[in-house]
Amino acid sequence: MNERISKIYERLKKREYRNLRSDISFDDSLEYEKNNVPLPLRVSDRLKKMVELEKPIIFPEDHIGFMRTVKNIPDILTEKEKEELSKTYLLFDHALVANISSDYEYTISVGFNKRLAEIREKLKEKNTDKEEIELKAMEESILALYSLIEKYQKEAERADNKVLAIALKKIPYEGATNYYEAALFLRIINYTLWLNGNKHNTIGRFDQYMYKYYKHDIDLKIIDEEDALNITEELFISLNFDTDLYPGEQQGDNGQSLVLGGIKRDGTSAFNELTELCLRASLELKLIDPKINLRVDKNTDFKWFKLGTELTKVGLGFPQYSNDDVVIPALIKMGYKEEDARDYVVAACWEFIIPKYGMDIPNVEALAFPKCVDKAIHSKGFLSATTYEEVEKLVNKEIEKEIKRLIDKTRNIFLIPSPFQSILMKNCVENKKDISEGNKYNNFGLHGAGLSTAADSLAAIKRCVFEDKTVNKEELVKAIDNDYEGYEKLRKYLVSAPKMGNNDDFVDNIGCKLLDKFSEECSKYKNGRGGIFRAGTGSAMYYVWYSETLGATSDGRKAKESFSANYSPSLNRNFDGVLSVIKSFTKPDLTKTCNGGPLTLEFHDTLFRNQEGIDKVASLVKTFILLKGHQLQLNAVNRDVLLDAQKHPEDHKNLIVRVWGWSGYFNELDLAYQNHIIKRLEFLN
Amino acid sequence: MKIRVFSIEEFSVYDGPGIRTTVFLKGCPLNCNWCHSPEGKRFGNVSLRSPNRCLNCGRCIEICEYNRKKCIGCAKCVDVCPRDLIRMSAIDYEVSELVSKLLKNADILKINNGGITISGGEPLFQVDETLELVKCLKGKTHIALQTSGYGNSQKFKEIIDNIDLVLFDMKVMDEEQAKKFEGIDNSLIFKNLEILKNSKTKFIIRVPLIPGVIDTKENLKEIINKIKGAKDLVRVELLPYNKYAGSKYKLAGLKFEPMYDENMESNPHLDLFKANDIEVRVL
Ligand code: SF4
Ligand code: SF4
Repeated sequence: MNERISKIYERLKKREYRNLRSDISFDDSLEYEKNNVPLPLRVSDRLKKMVELEKPIIFPEDHIGFMRTVKNIPDILTEKEKEELSKTYLLFDHALVANISSDYEYTISVGFNKRLAEIREKLKEKNTDKEEIELKAMEESILALYSLIEKYQKEAERADNKVLAIALKKIPYEGATNYYEAALFLRIINYTLWLNGNKHNTIGRFDQYMYKYYKHDIDLKIIDEEDALNITEELFISLNFDTDLYPGEQQGDNGQSLVLGGIKRDGTSAFNELTELCLRASLELKLIDPKINLRVDKNTDFKWFKLGTELTKVGLGFPQYSNDDVVIPALIKMGYKEEDARDYVVAACWEFIIPKYGMDIPNVEALAFPKCVDKAIHSKGFLSATTYEEVEKLVNKEIEKEIKRLIDKTRNIFLIPSPFQSILMKNCVENKKDISEGNKYNNFGLHGAGLSTAADSLAAIKRCVFEDKTVNKEELVKAIDNDYEGYEKLRKYLVSAPKMGNNDDFVDNIGCKLLDKFSEECSKYKNGRGGIFRAGTGSAMYYVWYSETLGATSDGRKAKESFSANYSPSLNRNFDGVLSVIKSFTKPDLTKTCNGGPLTLEFHDTLFRNQEGIDKVASLVKTFILLKGHQLQLNAVNRDVLLDAQKHPEDHKNLIVRVWGWSGYFNELDLAYQNHIIKRLEFLN
Repeated sequence: MKIRVFSIEEFSVYDGPGIRTTVFLKGCPLNCNWCHSPEGKRFGNVSLRSPNRCLNCGRCIEICEYNRKKCIGCAKCVDVCPRDLIRMSAIDYEVSELVSKLLKNADILKINNGGITISGGEPLFQVDETLELVKCLKGKTHIALQTSGYGNSQKFKEIIDNIDLVLFDMKVMDEEQAKKFEGIDNSLIFKNLEILKNSKTKFIIRVPLIPGVIDTKENLKEIINKIKGAKDLVRVELLPYNKYAGSKYKLAGLKFEPMYDENMESNPHLDLFKANDIEVRVL
């Protein structure tokens, strides 16, 4: 990091620039409704107005920059309109186009003038009214972007920032020709997507689409390795300027995932010098964005596991690994074309999606496994069941019902058009169709929360009720309904039954069966866009939401105690250790439940103290890949530090932790999430 | 044959090559003043209570015949804690049962060139059991023994002849000082060190750098004199003093009373080892 970049870095860390933003807001939704303005034009009109309000701030050290000066992005729909739409559709996640991965490659290489010309060409054709409107809105969006850039360019000239003043005369009108221009271009797209009201804007395969610019510059000696690192770092820093404005469940849940490595569309290795440069930049910056994902497989050079572990050591919860040997076959099985599957990226948290072509919504709902077990235990058949297999059938029936309910609820989703995002996807301009209406892939994903709690609960029933025959069913139900008050001895006994995560087939097989059932049920349905429902092992925030409303469970868990996040062993239980956990969680055929959702492993930060520790953690990751795990996320943590941060937040302003699929600043999290993380670590010390 | 264990750690990173599982056997004849695992020192079984998350509900005190003021290892309190915070310090296994538990992830150990490490406490404290364990594991995995070298010499020889690696501790060299800080006569350790040097088993010497006691120039020189030129010596590993050494005493209801200055930094004196052509690593 050179002096100029450290200035920008310090500015970000102090966060004072955020005080320069204005609170002004407007709301034209009533006006739009009254005049019956079509939705695509409302969105492009809002972008235009947002741009008008923006007052560019450029610091002398900026070569990339772009910070928001207006906080609020107004709705374009009125409450009445939303209500009306809700009658037919689910307005999922504020009905925003989100969580997809743009075709940065094409736009950065040709520039927006070319895109504008393409749109205008299409406008000349004989179009339906709808097509005319959608194309017009795309055109308007580019014009809005242009007026933003003109403002910035003028401000750069006024501030005597020559680098930006020159660059902004070309970018983003024409295609980038060098690494710096490409980085600036990417930032402009990213900034505009957020300003346009899109959410969870992923960064995608940065080391692929940026490589040609990097290589060009290095080969022609325009820049050296250090310059490239500086440009990358300035870009990464800029992705953090406005993270407090990005909407999400919790601050930090903003979806700026960046994917490195893996294989190319043609099947050859995709690792290159930029892969390493990005890992280095993230390691030096220690910022929550962009969120680093590393694609690996059984043939990946061990060097990359080591570099990944160096980054884990920093404590950001990056990188998250995904296994191409599992994910690509899984995606093909789900119907994705092989080339597209090889090009997969990671959505906001861990969902596997396809860049450029995908309009998948991989997080529409979550199946809460423990809830199905709970319903089965409270169903009529339970007390009369004479074998464990009968109980299993009852649970399967509940899974069937629950999945049907979730699918009925989410089958038809409405999304507000997004003309600007449409320009950045394949097919939209060509087909004159907004991205909100779908693209080549239109699949929905369901998370699966609380798998280990459910498997443990069933294992306890199998062992204690049917095998040892020491617990009777009436008593068990009563104890659960009383949250084990007065049944402490029974609860202990249930706790002593096998738990998923100890490499014990007795319970692990139950977990496998639950996952298989989940995927089998999902495969029976189609969504309203003709896509499928993908089953997954993620939890998102549902591990907290659903656990709060669920009573005690037969694994000995008391009411309200959290499930584990994602695909991990239960909390508050003793486990033999990390090797057994890996064995347990690589037993299922994960190609069937490959929507995304990692196994999380926590390590005490002292483990990473020397090269020997780092090499061994790297080998452990490689082992997970060889055993056909699909996704893995590691944390280097220290519980004492987190406890101190709760007491003295002022001393830990930049402390970063992993939450469920993303990393955020510890101090900015709700207490429930803070406590969950601390609880995860209790068994580590 | 039963063997008494106080814990099993999977993925123990600093107990030998590759990815390993380490079993810690209970009981130790030494009484090192800096011991960081007091729960492994005594052979007796007692309850351990982890203080995080304790509700102070008092149930564990109520059920205890001795109000938890002393412990006879009856395990009654384990069952009453609503938060599962109490566990017993020992688990007794049949050796065969322990072997299958240790080897349940054998495939992972194998692909990562690792194995099983037998540690303690002091494994030689349960010397017959350790020998039995070693014989059962032999041929199935790479075996390492971590020892202070204090135990029956004949059996020690038999054990090391059956394993792949010994991690041999060397601590206080001066006889009087050893009595003071470790509570033993260290001549037995030196005798066993000679046996080790004359065997064909590879070994690593481990030195905990207790500030002002073990990390002094004189003491380290003495250590070097004893191991210089040994043909199967792989290297020396130095363990800087860990200020959390006392953290588990509370768990076991014991008092930690260091007779040295805890706040002094350990001095590894790497030059001494290098001058004698001994490979050295700081853990
Ligand atoms: S095990 Fe528990 S109940 Fe028994 S003597 Fe020890 S402290 Fe008391
Ligand atoms: S029974 Fe458990 S929670 Fe209650 S005081 Fe004892 S250790 Fe604490």
